[in-house]
Amino acid sequence: MNVLFAITTGILFGLGAFQLLRRDLIKAAMGFYILFTAINLLFLAVGAFDGVVPAYSTSVAGGKTPSDPLVQALLLTAIVISFGSYAVLLGLISISSRRYRTVDPDSVDQLKK
Amino acid sequence: MNLALISAIPFALTLVLLVTATRVPKAILVWGITLMVALLFGALVGYVDATRSGEALTFSIPWITSLKLSYSIYLDSLALLFALLVTGIGALIALYAGYYFEKSTDLIRFYQLLLIFTGGMLGLVMAGNLFTLFIGWEITSISSFFLIGFKGDNPEARRGALQALVITAGGGLALLLGLALLGSAVGSFEWVDILNQRELLQHHPFFSAIAIFIFIGCFSKSAQFPVHFWLPGAMTAPTPASAYLHSATMVKAGIYLLLRLYPVMGDSLIWQNTLIPIGLITMAIGAFFALRNTDLKACLAYSTVSQLGAFVALIGLPHGEGLVAALVGIVAHAMYKGALFLIAGTVEHSVGSRDLSDLGGLGKSLRPLALITVLAAASMAGLPPLLGFVAKEGMLEAFLHGSSNFAVGVVTLSALLTVTMAAVLVWDVFFRPRSAALQHHEEAHGHEHHLHLPGWGLQISPAVMAAGSILGGLLLIPLIQPLVQPYLGESSLKLWHGFNTAFLLSLIAVGGGLMIFGLRRQWQGWNLPTLPRGRDLYDGVIRGVEKVADVLLLSQGGKLRYYLAAIIVTVILLMATAGLSGLHFASLSIQMNSSADFLKATLLILTIGATFASILFKRHLIAALALGVAGYSVGGLFLLEPAPDVALVQFLVETMGTVLVMIMLGKISANERQQVIKNLWGQTRAGVFRDALIATLVGVGVGLFSLAAVLNRPTRISITEWHISHAEKAVGATDIVAAIVTDFRGMDTIIEITVFGMAALGVLTLLSTPEPGRTIQFMAGQVLQRLRSRGTASTAPTAAEKELADPAIQREIAALLAERSVSILSSPMTRAAANLLLPFALLVSISHIAYGAGAPGDGFTAGVVSGLGIAVWYVVFGYDQAKRRLRWLHPVRLIGAGIGLAILNAVVPLLFGQPFLVTTQFKELVLPAGLHLTSTSFFELGIFLTVLGSTALILETIAHPQEVEAL
Repeated sequence: MNVLFAITTGILFGLGAFQLLRRDLIKAAMGFYILFTAINLLFLAVGAFDGVVPAYSTSVAGGKTPSDPLVQALLLTAIVISFGSYAVLLGLISISSRRYRTVDPDSVDQLKK
Repeated sequence: MNLALISAIPFALTLVLLVTATRVPKAILVWGITLMVALLFGALVGYVDATRSGEALTFSIPWITSLKLSYSIYLDSLALLFALLVTGIGALIALYAGYYFEKSTDLIRFYQLLLIFTGGMLGLVMAGNLFTLFIGWEITSISSFFLIGFKGDNPEARRGALQALVITAGGGLALLLGLALLGSAVGSFEWVDILNQRELLQHHPFFSAIAIFIFIGCFSKSAQFPVHFWLPGAMTAPTPASAYLHSATMVKAGIYLLLRLYPVMGDSLIWQNTLIPIGLITMAIGAFFALRNTDLKACLAYSTVSQLGAFVALIGLPHGEGLVAALVGIVAHAMYKGALFLIAGTVEHSVGSRDLSDLGGLGKSLRPLALITVLAAASMAGLPPLLGFVAKEGMLEAFLHGSSNFAVGVVTLSALLTVTMAAVLVWDVFFRPRSAALQHHEEAHGHEHHLHLPGWGLQISPAVMAAGSILGGLLLIPLIQPLVQPYLGESSLKLWHGFNTAFLLSLIAVGGGLMIFGLRRQWQGWNLPTLPRGRDLYDGVIRGVEKVADVLLLSQGGKLRYYLAAIIVTVILLMATAGLSGLHFASLSIQMNSSADFLKATLLILTIGATFASILFKRHLIAALALGVAGYSVGGLFLLEPAPDVALVQFLVETMGTVLVMIMLGKISANERQQVIKNLWGQTRAGVFRDALIATLVGVGVGLFSLAAVLNRPTRISITEWHISHAEKAVGATDIVAAIVTDFRGMDTIIEITVFGMAALGVLTLLSTPEPGRTIQFMAGQVLQRLRSRGTASTAPTAAEKELADPAIQREIAALLAERSVSILSSPMTRAAANLLLPFALLVSISHIAYGAGAPGDGFTAGVVSGLGIAVWYVVFGYDQAKRRLRWLHPVRLIGAGIGLAILNAVVPLLFGQPFLVTTQFKELVLPAGLHLTSTSFFELGIFLTVLGSTALILETIAHPQEVEAL
């Protein structure tokens, strides 16, 4: 099953990279978001356990294998940080729109001196 | 007094200065600092008896034991001698500086740098551990950089500072390498261990490498040939700094390290064959160039270079012949050169120039200063009965015993030139009649002998140092000998050795020196061939680096997408190699074990489909919604894992992200959006093809990597087992994920919320900078207001203000505002819903925080839920109304309070002697069933506040119709 996750990660990464390279900052930000999602999927897939119950000590007591709590904790952090980054990206797009009146990165040529 | 405290006190004082310096009267400031440093000197004097037998006092606090790092002190007679110099001279410099700087801001800045330097230098010489030594070493380099560039508006000062930093810090890197090799060769980074391992070290295969790297470090710090030129270039520093750092103490750090290593490395061939030639060359060229300058400070700097060369050569002599001479020389040099530098400062202060050709005849008006100068210069020239004489006799004696005749010749010649220099200093400044041209010039300008007499404050410090030169010479046994006793063995220091070869050479040096001085008229006219200057070499290297940079800059296209493509392709190629090497196709299999697996496969396909659709959809809004579908599918996958906590966060964040995109899209004009949509597929087919190719490459590369990662994933033997078994016991949480987040990896979470808060503040900073045009308008209004309040501008309204006051225009503005602020979604029903939703969201948040330890949801989800409640307000009411109604919400304060609470919760256990971040369970509390209150609840509350504040801030900033008002 995890092999499917890995393949999906690859496909999503390709799609994200394609979006990143568009001449459109909004789509590029979405491309970033796709990359975040893809990486999170991979995280889930490389956990040590293939669990059948949630990682609660109450359910572990029943003798069943829980899902790997460590990757979940890492995922929580990853999701939060990617959301923060996404917000900064959106802020950057807003500033491009306000300052340069465009969201086409190629039209913003003041960056090169 | 605790030894560790001594090197910490200067740093503590710096902090005190930061707060108090501007509020205390200058006299208290000056005397306070002077006395504090003098107290350190006094405290250190108390250790003389303890170290004179050759014992070392040690003290150690373990720091990072796994890296063999500790903060330790090693105080033997060598370290003590340097520490006494640092604090003794330091106190005198602090006093002198109090009268040298005219502006109090300069004085405070100087004191801060001086104290930082003193702390670093004490840390260096008293360090018991190689890394502590290195940290001190770097602190001195950096404070030296700031002091040389003290007058930062002068380009020459900036240049000198940078040059000194490049050379000393570059040498510092070599030193770090050398120390690391040294430590790993011996197996310990403590002096205590290293100094016993002479045999092991000298037979170690890396011995030569260790020696060479350490030499580079020491030579660059102590201004040895061929990088000696940074020291004269450093003379742009204020004179007290030159006297302190660049003659008495810092430049001797390299000498200190060589002396420190002598017992273990000193009798090797590489040691002698490097130190003696380099030292002699430096000594000779320093003495020679000193005479070719007319700037008083440059003369002194080159003469310092010469002395430093002499010390290096002395340390290079075999069988420790030169060590005592070097140590006595260091003390003598600190006293007379420190005094001479300070005198140069006083002279410049009085006359306004420190160029020898502008000076002369000051002896009449500055009689005390002239006397001090004669004493200091006599010590420099090595005349009896001053300390300089003892040092020079010792030096000549050592070379006579331990080296070739050639070396003795070079040393004598340098000593001879030094005598000439000393004579020039005294004569030209104080006793030479003022030149006719100069007098004529002054008369022409109508002011005669414009002299500003120095106060006692500028004379007392050099006077004390000059007195030290005499007392040191006369009271050699009680004052100086205890400091160098371990190096003397049974013998003792003597002022007078009788008529021996050394004294004969000394006589030659003095006689010859005075003769050369007498014949100055003749040789000053000589046109010596110009030698390549070190400074030009340095400039050449810097220019070369800039050339390379220019070539590299050619590769910069300036288009964002090309950079991205380059980065992505590189990363992917690296990843793909890793992936291919870890891939075993044999173990590749797809097993569907349960119905849940089929559901997972369906969701994966849905994710890919929705993502693909988001690419194809032209309109951004629809694309964003499609992306939302993909995100929800991923949330579903998390739920099936089963990972309910993660799924909850994913759903919430996905919603929030989509809302944010929608709000942002509303702020970008339709025109701009149309323009990029037109471009999107309108770019050349080849371009799209190229991007698709890159994307495919990326996909395949990452796919391979992921497959390898999945196939090689960890087995059940991992830390997770421990987490699962300890969650309830140690943290009191049945939710193992929550236990990891709030306790086992709690520090991660603190950093995570900090990053999130910073992201929000970053968005605010990005969007709150006003456009240039807007600034000017805004400023104009402010200026007008200020002028009016002062009564300098007419209060009659300007044309623009009159227009704005017109009722018709006001109606228009009101209509425009209403139109802008009312959202299309605003209807009585939606408004009521929004009103209801926020309190409800807050309730949900509270339950998430309270029950986070046993159920999905935690401080983070609580924050996002409340944030979504606020998002609804922005969507329904529009920016203006939402902002007005949410006046109680101060996002920035919430972020601060949240992070503060999280850190406080982590720190409080420390007060009770518990480890950082440990969880306290309040078991005796009687609570409703299912509710477990532990100290992590405060942590969760902190997370909640931070996340709520950040989300609200991001929303508010992005939803703002124009610019955001500054904080």
